[in-house]
Amino acid sequence: MIRSLGYFWELIKGSLITARHFVVNMWFHTLKLFGIKTKRRGAVTIQYPEQKKALASRHRSLQRLLKRQDLKPRCVSCMLCVTVCPSECIYVEAAEDPDPDIQKYPSTFIIDLSRCCFCGFCVEACPEDAIRMDTGKIDLAQSTRQDLIYDLDKLLK
Amino acid sequence: MESAGMKIVIDDRPVEVEEGTTILQAAKQAGLHIPHLCFHPAFVPEGSCRICLVEIEGLPKLELACATAVRDGMKISTQSPRVREARRGVLEFLMADHPLDCPICDKAGECKLQDYYQEYGLFEGAFKEAKEKRDKIIKIAEKLILDRERCILCTRCVRFLSEITKTQELGVFRRGIHSEISTYEDAPVQNNYSGNLVDLCPVGAITDTEFRFKTRTWFLAQSESICPLCSRGCNIYVDYHPGFTRIPGTAKIYRIRARENLEVNGRWICDFGRYGFPSLEKDRGDKILWKKEGRDTIMSWEKILSLLAEKLRPRHRTKNTSNIAVVANTWMTNEELFLFKKIFKDDLGLKKIFFADPRPGSGDGFLLQAERTPNARAAKEMGLELNPVNLDDLSKNTDVLIIFGPFLADLHDPSSLKNDLDKIRTKVLVSSHRSGLESYVDFILPASGILEKTGSLTNRDGLVQKFSAVCPPCGDSRPEWSVLIELAKELRINAGYYSRLTQPEVILKEMGKEIAFFR
Repeated sequence: MIRSLGYFWELIKGSLITARHFVVNMWFHTLKLFGIKTKRRGAVTIQYPEQKKALASRHRSLQRLLKRQDLKPRCVSCMLCVTVCPSECIYVEAAEDPDPDIQKYPSTFIIDLSRCCFCGFCVEACPEDAIRMDTGKIDLAQSTRQDLIYDLDKLLK
Repeated sequence: MESAGMKIVIDDRPVEVEEGTTILQAAKQAGLHIPHLCFHPAFVPEGSCRICLVEIEGLPKLELACATAVRDGMKISTQSPRVREARRGVLEFLMADHPLDCPICDKAGECKLQDYYQEYGLFEGAFKEAKEKRDKIIKIAEKLILDRERCILCTRCVRFLSEITKTQELGVFRRGIHSEISTYEDAPVQNNYSGNLVDLCPVGAITDTEFRFKTRTWFLAQSESICPLCSRGCNIYVDYHPGFTRIPGTAKIYRIRARENLEVNGRWICDFGRYGFPSLEKDRGDKILWKKEGRDTIMSWEKILSLLAEKLRPRHRTKNTSNIAVVANTWMTNEELFLFKKIFKDDLGLKKIFFADPRPGSGDGFLLQAERTPNARAAKEMGLELNPVNLDDLSKNTDVLIIFGPFLADLHDPSSLKNDLDKIRTKVLVSSHRSGLESYVDFILPASGILEKTGSLTNRDGLVQKFSAVCPPCGDSRPEWSVLIELAKELRINAGYYSRLTQPEVILKEMGKEIAFFR
């Protein structure tokens, strides 16, 4: 009995919070309508998947690997991104390039997005500007873990 | 040699050294590191890199620490502003033609040029000229690649080949800025010690194809171990990568390097040992299997050991152990051989004890021995006779056979092995590697590889060397010593004795009490 009363009490508390936010935001929106400037602005809800906010120019989103002019990856697999990565989500395997000026290229480059924390250290560590986090893709959720493992083909796209 | 000590002062530290010691060695004794690239304690000093310059009181010029012998009363400073300035200058000249491709250089992280630049350099390059273009991929041996751009001409490789192996395959050709290391008329470096050139090279000029581009040095955990591939027992470093969590198969051993032990292997190891390690990681068995009427059943250690004990226990009780045979090998550590002897020879009183070891190869008269097993000496010292396996003796009136190690498969041809093993009712295999023996036996118990175990090995000269595990055991495998102890516990023989032996160190101590050789 007492427990169910408590349940209703929480319901009422929750409704009051919602009501408070509504009234406060409504107040600021009404003030704005009449051209009265206030320090605080009324909150705006964006209808997320249908409506998207513009990303800041320095945002960090899904990584991509850049290509040279001959479409080979710019990466020389120095593994500095692997070294600096705090969540250990990058795995690189190097191979010998026939071109002696390049020498080393990545035969495997895997980013495990389920571990990535989007800190952007890999971008900063890269001496070749081969990895960037500027694709603008932020809706990266997948239904299996395997889909979150991005390999060379996916990253070069 | 009893000679009058030379009293010198290095950086305000008084040291007393023997006559004939060089300044660099004296500084080492005083606990000071003088940078050096071309100097190596095993060779005659060359003095080509010029980075070990030190200031000696009373002398107008800076002197080479590696090639100057100390004199009584010398006052040396290794860190004065003049010395540091000179080292900076030397580094600037060394770097003038060095490609600085550290991001893709395999030596990066353990490169001495990098270290010294951090400590003494940190200058902006003043050279405006373009760097000299040279060949970057020159195959100088089957497994060695020379990069002439990175080479700083310290000639350690040349001196190694002329002083240690005496094969003299490399030399310095041409002059001035065009000087380069090369083989004579493209005849490759061909000796069993070529891998040491990679360790010797202070920069990344000589790399080996086994390690080249595979990983970066700072990912590797370095552990000390003993090379198991011959009876010399060379001291080695094993560089192990602990792997990436989500990517299977990334935890592995990347390279073997020589560890200094002047009693055993000096500062070198042979290529057979250095490049033989992939074979230790291949074809590993990692599941406990019982082949019950042709079907493989995966078992737990407790179950399979109690099953085995049930087969052995009645025979032990009735003192009727003549139909049990065991095959051991001398890849087992001292502790394991000791337990093996204790259980099978002393407690069970077996007569049919055989040894199956890898076939001997040929020695090379320097480090590599013909005997390709690390612990034969220990078995001999323990009083075990190294009887080779005779298939007739092995299978005659035998009911239970326990085989340790995979080597039996290489020693006999498969058809006769199958024929003879088929006569035996229960066959047990305790092996670290898959060898083909699996198809003939009923029980398969995976053992840990030698680099996954802790223990000690006795080399051919009778030196007992301890080593500890480099990496965790593969799959369900367990080291043989733990299998043997558990088996003894299950058999309920001498329970108080075996339950005390919990760690290899305890076993070694116990061995010392019983066998004078291991004291």
